[in-house]
Amino acid sequence: MFYKKIHIRINIAFIGIAFLFLLIIGKVFYIQVIAYGKLSSLADSLWSRNLPIEGDRGKIYDRNGVVLADNETTVSLVFIPNQIKDKEEVARKISSILKTDYEDMLAHASKRTVMERVHPEGRRLTYEVADQINELHLDGVYLLKESKRIYPYSTLLAHTLGFVGIDNQGLSGLELIYDKFLTGAYGAIKYLSDAKGKKLELTESYVQPQDGMNLTLTINYELQASLERELDNAVSKYNPDQALGIAMDPKTGEILALASRPSFEASNYQDYSLEEINRNLPIWMTYEPGSTFKIITLATALEEKLIDLEKDTFFDSGSVQVENARIKCWKHGGHGAQSLLNVVENSCNPGFVSIGQKIGKETLFKYIRDFGFGSKTGVDLNGEASGILFSLDRVGPVELATTSFGQGVSVTPIQQITAVSAAINGGTLYQPYIVKSINEPETNAVIKETKVTPKRKVISEETSEKVRYALESVVTNGTGRPAFIDGYRVGGKTGTAQKVKDGRYMVGNYIVSFIGFLPANDPEVVVYIAIDNAKGVVQYGGTVAAPIARTVLLDAISILDIDPPKGASDKKYNYNDKKYISVPNVTGMDIKEAMKNLKEFKVEYTGSGEKVTYQSPTEGSRILEGETVRLFMS
Amino acid sequence: MKEKKLDVVLVLGILLISLFGVLMIYSSSSIWAEYKFADPFKYVKNQGLFLCIGFLLMLFVSKIDVSLYYKKMNSILFLSTLLLILVLIPGIGTIRNGSRSWFGIGSFGIQPSEFSKLALILFTSKYLIKNEKNLSSIIKGVLPILGITLFIFALIMLQPDFGTGMIIVMSIMGLLFVGGVNFKFFMKLGILGAVGITGLILMAPYRLKRILSFLDPWSDPLGSGFQIIQSLYAIGPGGLFGQGFLNSRQKHFYLPEPQTDFIFSIISEEFGFLGVILVVGLFLFIIYRGFRIARKCEDLFSKYVAFGITFGLSFQAILNLMVVVGLIPVTGVTLPFLSYGGSSLLITLCSMGILLNISRKI
Repeated sequence: MFYKKIHIRINIAFIGIAFLFLLIIGKVFYIQVIAYGKLSSLADSLWSRNLPIEGDRGKIYDRNGVVLADNETTVSLVFIPNQIKDKEEVARKISSILKTDYEDMLAHASKRTVMERVHPEGRRLTYEVADQINELHLDGVYLLKESKRIYPYSTLLAHTLGFVGIDNQGLSGLELIYDKFLTGAYGAIKYLSDAKGKKLELTESYVQPQDGMNLTLTINYELQASLERELDNAVSKYNPDQALGIAMDPKTGEILALASRPSFEASNYQDYSLEEINRNLPIWMTYEPGSTFKIITLATALEEKLIDLEKDTFFDSGSVQVENARIKCWKHGGHGAQSLLNVVENSCNPGFVSIGQKIGKETLFKYIRDFGFGSKTGVDLNGEASGILFSLDRVGPVELATTSFGQGVSVTPIQQITAVSAAINGGTLYQPYIVKSINEPETNAVIKETKVTPKRKVISEETSEKVRYALESVVTNGTGRPAFIDGYRVGGKTGTAQKVKDGRYMVGNYIVSFIGFLPANDPEVVVYIAIDNAKGVVQYGGTVAAPIARTVLLDAISILDIDPPKGASDKKYNYNDKKYISVPNVTGMDIKEAMKNLKEFKVEYTGSGEKVTYQSPTEGSRILEGETVRLFMS
Repeated sequence: MKEKKLDVVLVLGILLISLFGVLMIYSSSSIWAEYKFADPFKYVKNQGLFLCIGFLLMLFVSKIDVSLYYKKMNSILFLSTLLLILVLIPGIGTIRNGSRSWFGIGSFGIQPSEFSKLALILFTSKYLIKNEKNLSSIIKGVLPILGITLFIFALIMLQPDFGTGMIIVMSIMGLLFVGGVNFKFFMKLGILGAVGITGLILMAPYRLKRILSFLDPWSDPLGSGFQIIQSLYAIGPGGLFGQGFLNSRQKHFYLPEPQTDFIFSIISEEFGFLGVILVVGLFLFIIYRGFRIARKCEDLFSKYVAFGITFGLSFQAILNLMVVVGLIPVTGVTLPFLSYGGSSLLITLCSMGILLNISRKI
């Protein structure tokens, strides 16, 4: 039938059409379900506009929670020109509040851009100004939070902390190394915009900015301040080319203080030269250490049981002949006959040459490397140098001899203090570090903590004990006497190193140093001080560096709350030295009796009574002879 | 003879989809209307008015017996063709969106090509009956009507309006297919058509660009790929339930003229996959009712007309939807019932009136 054929073809057409509709539905399904993620995010980025809100940069704390790097909150003015309805009105009002030029402000408000920062006049506004602008409730005018880095203690720890650039990005020091931790994530006020950039009323969401993580350092602020103060004093006193100091916990490798001169002010870093900014001397500078290096030679000889400090003797004629070289002792005419302990106390160069010869170059250099010289310590700061050692095949008798007393090797201060820490802490070389932990900004919970890292056992506990004994002897009886602290057991070693320029030793230009620690029997803190080219003074480690180290150690006693040990070794007094004397109890006595008992001291008294009822200092305090004791009579 | 009732179910379907269209025109056009005319209701008021007129027109047309067109066929075709020629003359026809295809009366425009579509469907239906015997012969039966179709197609292409031209040609093809023309003819024609389209593309490079943009819209995101990318951005985030009525983001100046060709992307953005199913379902329902009328009616002319109108409507909807979802290149075809456009809506409702008249006979 004719109609039947037509109907079949109509049905075919309908099936074809239905099929095409299904195809369309399938494609929509594909777009909405399968390609959804990609399209949705592409579309979102098309629609959404962000007003960025800066997260605070993480703070940097010392080990006790003192803030060393902080943030100051400010606000900055931002225009979204497309949202500003009356540009003249906005320009007029804002420019009158900021007291700036109307035309300039109109240019900002009319700029063809998504977002216009009103720079520089609208940056970092005070709260009052910001409040006035806020009161106007102008469309398209926004105040965004910006934080500014501040360093509350100005130059303190400047090299180590580093500084940030205009956009709060870390540029040097810890600010640079830990930049990705310290940097917060931008938050935003997200609003959906139409294609002309106008704000849509649909949704507006606030994405909270993420503050950066905090750093807690091993630095002890008070000790750092002490070290900085002493270096400042040294600078004004001796006008040296450079000066540096480190304080370390010998049992962990934690750096307690670290300072350099010249220093700089982080907030005005543009005013300083790159050298001044970048040279964190304690880790950057390399030089011949001089006599402080003898500690390594000593420890090696003791560990290898090649010498006996008490029984072995050495006669110093003032110089020693090694092949073609005549090596002189620092003391003209020499020290004469000495025990090896005297050799250490006197820092006698020929004596150490002979110890070095007993050790031999292979063993000595093996220990030098084991103590960490010749390679970076791996401290978590940048710009560390590795120092220079002779390669073993180039070490002849002369090189062996000079190395024994610290010449012809080049080391960094951080290597020195780390190695000496190992020599006195029982023999373990630790990895030095300065960042104790990275903390979560809200709760300050520890996210990542630096573990104390022993690298290797270099010498035995017995050897270490002997080293401590010898070095305590240096302070009580030898060249280190200016570092002596009455009532405490202090160990240490001086160093006076000639500087090398163009392959020659310079005349009258030394780096004088002192490395000291206490208590000598169980060290809790090591301090290393080096002064480069001190002027107007006899350049010896004992005369320049040791007194500085002593003051820092003295401060460390109260800061670290170190108890005086029993049986501190008595200082051997020279005729002109003032003695420390224990103050007797005079309370209850009359004034005559008291004066008699206090005849080594000056006495001042007040009050009108007959008897002494109060005395300062109290019984048992040790003070220098000739100092004042105050009494109260009633 | 007592007059039979028209297909009330179909009327309801048409009413539903048209009202949904008005709603969506409001949602999609208000932003642009506000921007251009400071009146967010500008487009929706126009469309609402046309819908009222269109509905009255549809009911009026449904009273006119189709046999009238059969009698007056030649004058109808002549008149519509005359209009097609007139519109090309500058001063009479106005240019809108790059095509000289409008008679402008104020803000209101009429596209004569829409009339031609209807006229040619009617004419071909009569032709099929008159030449029933010759249809087995390509030369005697098919070529004459094909010639007339291509002539009208050529006139429309002079505007140029490729989309409407395609719909007309395909509607006539559909009629020829149902009228019993040999399968082989369509296969040959398919090959010829492919060659022809290639030729047209080569003639006007902008068409090639459109094709390339459809294959990879991101290759020229600000140029030829722009519309389709914006359309995909609208459809994509719609998800199952959409962003909700009035919550389209793409209508905020991203998608140009969202109330016209790309209204379907706004529907999928605001109503999601469910909205898509609803719209496609309504279309399939109307098409099904149209084909049902064609199958059931006894009069051959009515049968052809019913089929032709329904097929033309289907093809137009498919062409639009395929463009919007990125299956074929951008052609510039409106979506019947839903897209903004008075003349298009009037003609669509008018043709529905004819279909409804036929439904009275079953």
